[in-house]
Amino acid sequence: MHEFIAGLGSPLIMGILLGGLYAVIALGLSLVFGVMRLINVAHGDLVIFGSYFAYLIVTLTGIDPVLSLVAGIPVLFLIGFAIQKFLMARAFKQSMEAPLIIAFGISLVLENAYQIIFSPMSRGISTSYSMKSFIFGGIYIPIVYVLNFIVALLVMVSLHAFLKRTYLGQAIIAASQDAVAAQLMGINTPRIFAFTFGIAGTTAAVAGVFLGLTFPFTPISGISFLIIAFGVVILGGLGSVLGTFIGGIILGLAQTLGAHFFGSAAQMLILDIMVLVILAVRPQGLFGR
Amino acid sequence: MELTPLRFVRLTLLFAAVALLAIFPLIGLPKDWILYIFLFCVYLALANMWNLLCGYCGLISLCQTAFIGLAGYTLVIFTWNGLPISLGILCSAVVAAVFAVLISLPLFRLRGIYFAIGSLIVPDALRVVFLLWRPVGDKIHGKGAGYMLKGLEDISMTHIYWLAILVGIGSIFIMRLILSSKLGMGLAAIRDNDTAASSSGINIFRLKLCAFVISAIVSALAGAIFFMFDGYIAPTGGFNMKWTMTMILATVIGGISTEEGPMIGTVIIVFLHFVLARYAGISLVIQGTLLIIIMLLVPQGIMGFLRKTRSYQSLLRLLVRGAG
Amino acid sequence: MVSEKRMLKADNIDAYYGNLQVLWKISVEIKVGEIVAIIGSNGSGKSTFLNVISGVIHPPRGSILFEGTDITSMDPFQIVGLGISQVPEGRRIFPDMTVFENLRIGSYSRRARSKREENFERVYRLFPVLKERRNQIAKTLSGGERQMMAIGSALMSDPKLLLLDEMSLGLSPLVVNELYRALKEIRSRGITIIFVEQNVRRTLTEAERVYILETGRVVLSGNAETLREEEKVKKAYFGTH
Repeated sequence: MHEFIAGLGSPLIMGILLGGLYAVIALGLSLVFGVMRLINVAHGDLVIFGSYFAYLIVTLTGIDPVLSLVAGIPVLFLIGFAIQKFLMARAFKQSMEAPLIIAFGISLVLENAYQIIFSPMSRGISTSYSMKSFIFGGIYIPIVYVLNFIVALLVMVSLHAFLKRTYLGQAIIAASQDAVAAQLMGINTPRIFAFTFGIAGTTAAVAGVFLGLTFPFTPISGISFLIIAFGVVILGGLGSVLGTFIGGIILGLAQTLGAHFFGSAAQMLILDIMVLVILAVRPQGLFGR
Repeated sequence: MELTPLRFVRLTLLFAAVALLAIFPLIGLPKDWILYIFLFCVYLALANMWNLLCGYCGLISLCQTAFIGLAGYTLVIFTWNGLPISLGILCSAVVAAVFAVLISLPLFRLRGIYFAIGSLIVPDALRVVFLLWRPVGDKIHGKGAGYMLKGLEDISMTHIYWLAILVGIGSIFIMRLILSSKLGMGLAAIRDNDTAASSSGINIFRLKLCAFVISAIVSALAGAIFFMFDGYIAPTGGFNMKWTMTMILATVIGGISTEEGPMIGTVIIVFLHFVLARYAGISLVIQGTLLIIIMLLVPQGIMGFLRKTRSYQSLLRLLVRGAG
Repeated sequence: MVSEKRMLKADNIDAYYGNLQVLWKISVEIKVGEIVAIIGSNGSGKSTFLNVISGVIHPPRGSILFEGTDITSMDPFQIVGLGISQVPEGRRIFPDMTVFENLRIGSYSRRARSKREENFERVYRLFPVLKERRNQIAKTLSGGERQMMAIGSALMSDPKLLLLDEMSLGLSPLVVNELYRALKEIRSRGITIIFVEQNVRRTLTEAERVYILETGRVVLSGNAETLREEEKVKKAYFGTH
């Protein structure tokens, strides 16, 4: 019995730390959905873009992947901005389904582009510290996991501050609550939407780097992380940065505990089923409006 | 459904076409052409079903591949256990229908975008399930969880081809039947105005579930026949996004929410597949880009575009007057 | 008070809601410093006209000039930047933001940002209850308080022309009094006002000039005082004479 509980220590701590990463991954999806009511089916693939981009820079220049964000963040911001401004904005005017189908198209284009450029082989980003762990209370904790959690906190706090304290952030919140009223306040809503998508891109860039440090990824990993992100969003409810964080932790725990009890091969399946169950039982999440 | 002169003409044309298609392999047409028609029939069935769900029920289903893959694996289980393949085909339809009812429990509580993502999860989950589960054979067989289909020796390619025509053309009939029945009227009402429809007493849930199950059955049949032709199934192939892309692209190009749309779109898609066969890698990149471009520029598809042109409308009037 | 300078000129505006035409050849002229009312019953097109001015709806025919600039096909945010601000019907506000945040976002446009603190003072003086409740979440406010906040947000954008859509709808007469008092004060600061109403009697006492709209057309216009005496108006809107 004592051993059972002790054995749980590792998956518990790892699950919580992993939750941070999942929260950051979900952030972009949550933002776009909260502001524009669009579930960007290509979001997972954008995160993987961040991973591949960082991988490329690291292999070519050898610099630390976190530093590669100096390039990664603007690049992914522009990609997100462009997707909204040139593709989605037009799609929204047509119908409810058009943006979804277009996102689907983008997703497949990206996945196959990755396959062509990088081959289906799984990749990972390694650094001097990506393999190291330290011991805490008898449990091995990889440094990367702790890093993920800290970065997640930083990102969440800065995003929250940005949204609450800057004109742009408040404009985004206003546009998400009433787009027409926002226009009447002098807010250029089409540009705000594009900006929001761009910000989602930047979070994807950050998420991508740390994902690459934590897991091996393949061209089709995007869909797995989309499902996780989606699960986090519906668990955490919309419009709540804290909710996203908690949702991430819950899914992180689900994965590590699931792996602990059922073996690592079934991890993704457990998450899939869990998300389906959540969808069926409480689609508005724990903190939903 | 009464038989008006116009309907009679259309039916005869259809039967003639089917008869013509059916004798193609017998008169020694080149194999490529046979393959083209075969794929056309399989894809047509899938596209019609996707059109039924998205164009008429407002359900963007990304889980049709689940039914296709399940059909394939049902065939595997049947043929590896020595059971007749015809029974296997029937059973795959049943399995798909049951599965559709099962997953409708979580999925149908969701609307629009939530439904789409929920439906995305299903094939992915199944892919993992079949990666881990070896339903037949021992450790040597099913390496990488792929299986050869057994018991196909007695069945000639021609028979499979005929089955494909049956399913493909059959899907056209099914669409016509559904759309002109009470189910179809109800669906048209839902598509135009969800809330108004429900307040007029139409049980939306039951209608959509009906359509969903029908789509599952037809998709499963199409999938079963495809795997009979291919002879091999693996989780990555059976539950692949390629299927979804094909049915979406075919429907969108041809014209969503139109009856003829999937037909036209499928012709183009099969042609596209043939052309892109050499460039396997970028095939999906091109298809994805095509999908985006069409959704942005010509979202109503070819049929939708044609319908708006004056020449089409006058042609229609001519036909109706001539036959009526 | 009222100068002879022209502030807004709408010329032969036709407007549509989707495929349905709702405005026919609307021509309106507003001078600087005026307070003008547009009256009409439901479906007469009054809100649509305000939305045309604000740029939310673009008319396929006709033009609107504001201080000489053609604003007919401008985007809403540009029009706010020029100095036209609308308080929309239904007291549209941002429900999950606080009163303070709602007001603050009103000063989003570049022109208004530099005057933010000044305008905050003014709005708080005009509606002291907003200062009291500035940290309260907007959706918990009463109808009257919401209307005050909506007007306050519009004022935060430092407008030269203020548009109000059915301000008194659903509010008690006491609250309506407060609002009209506030309007008087706003006007005394030199802001031109156009307000849209269904309540004819009250409107004719508050406005200087009036346009009466019926099924999308201007049927009567003129001095409010003169119109009050007009037989047609009396019969149509007051029932008896």
